[in-house]
Amino acid sequence: MEAELKTTAKAGQVAVWQARLIMLVMINIAQLWILAATVDAALARHYSVLLPLVVASGVCFLVTLSIIRWWRPTSRQKTSSGYLRGNDR
Amino acid sequence: MSSSKNISETIKRVLSDESDVREATAPFQAEFPYERDEEAQVTRREFCNFLGLTSAALFFGAAGFATKAALDAREEVSVSAAHIGGAETLALNSSLNFSYPTERDSAILIRTADGAYHAYGQKCTHLSCPVYYSRDHQRLECPCHEGAFDVATGDVLYGPPPRALDVIEVEVRDGQVWATGRNTSTPKDGG
Repeated sequence: MEAELKTTAKAGQVAVWQARLIMLVMINIAQLWILAATVDAALARHYSVLLPLVVASGVCFLVTLSIIRWWRPTSRQKTSSGYLRGNDR
Repeated sequence: MSSSKNISETIKRVLSDESDVREATAPFQAEFPYERDEEAQVTRREFCNFLGLTSAALFFGAAGFATKAALDAREEVSVSAAHIGGAETLALNSSLNFSYPTERDSAILIRTADGAYHAYGQKCTHLSCPVYYSRDHQRLECPCHEGAFDVATGDVLYGPPPRALDVIEVEVRDGQVWATGRNTSTPKDGG
């Protein structure tokens, strides 16, 4: 029973890491697009859109930071699927 | 003689394949355990951290670029008239490169087939590639992304550039060609 719980928890951890990775990659792609748009806007002298673009990039960075630093459901006592973690801590 | 033979055999073994490497370096492996497979593996955590650093770099890149563009827009360059050397002897339907208003600002002077002079900043307004004068098509062309500008007005004819070229005002004084000012164009949608 305990082994089964551990396996489920392990699978959950892997899924969470995968989800985290996918989100980070998507955010990075969005930021890359924002950087390209910023360069385009600056050279075109569209100064009014520069600030919103930088703010959007900053928000993406904060989300990235929060995903890496603070979003850690796998390190809690309960796993993301609600199971109590075993004595593996 | 035998020692050199041993060395060559050892080298041959080392270069043969991975298992031989481990066998040949066994004494060192005992003191410095090192697994190549583990070394080459990138964990999810490491990759996440790398993505985080990339995100930071992209943010600071965008912020830096926007800041520099905003500062450049506020900077006022003192413009004074400057003689364009060699312009008087410029053949019809040809161009001449010069710098104006500072040495860092490359510009292009064109003498059209009717003898009129037109000058523009040489940076394409798309991604700053230098534009050149195409004699065959009688227009300014950007080789990077195939943009083109009207030779008489500097307006965009086609391609990705979002605005016209910066116009340099030209005057002919006593048979000499002078650049007297530089007008920066703005996007047509008013942004």
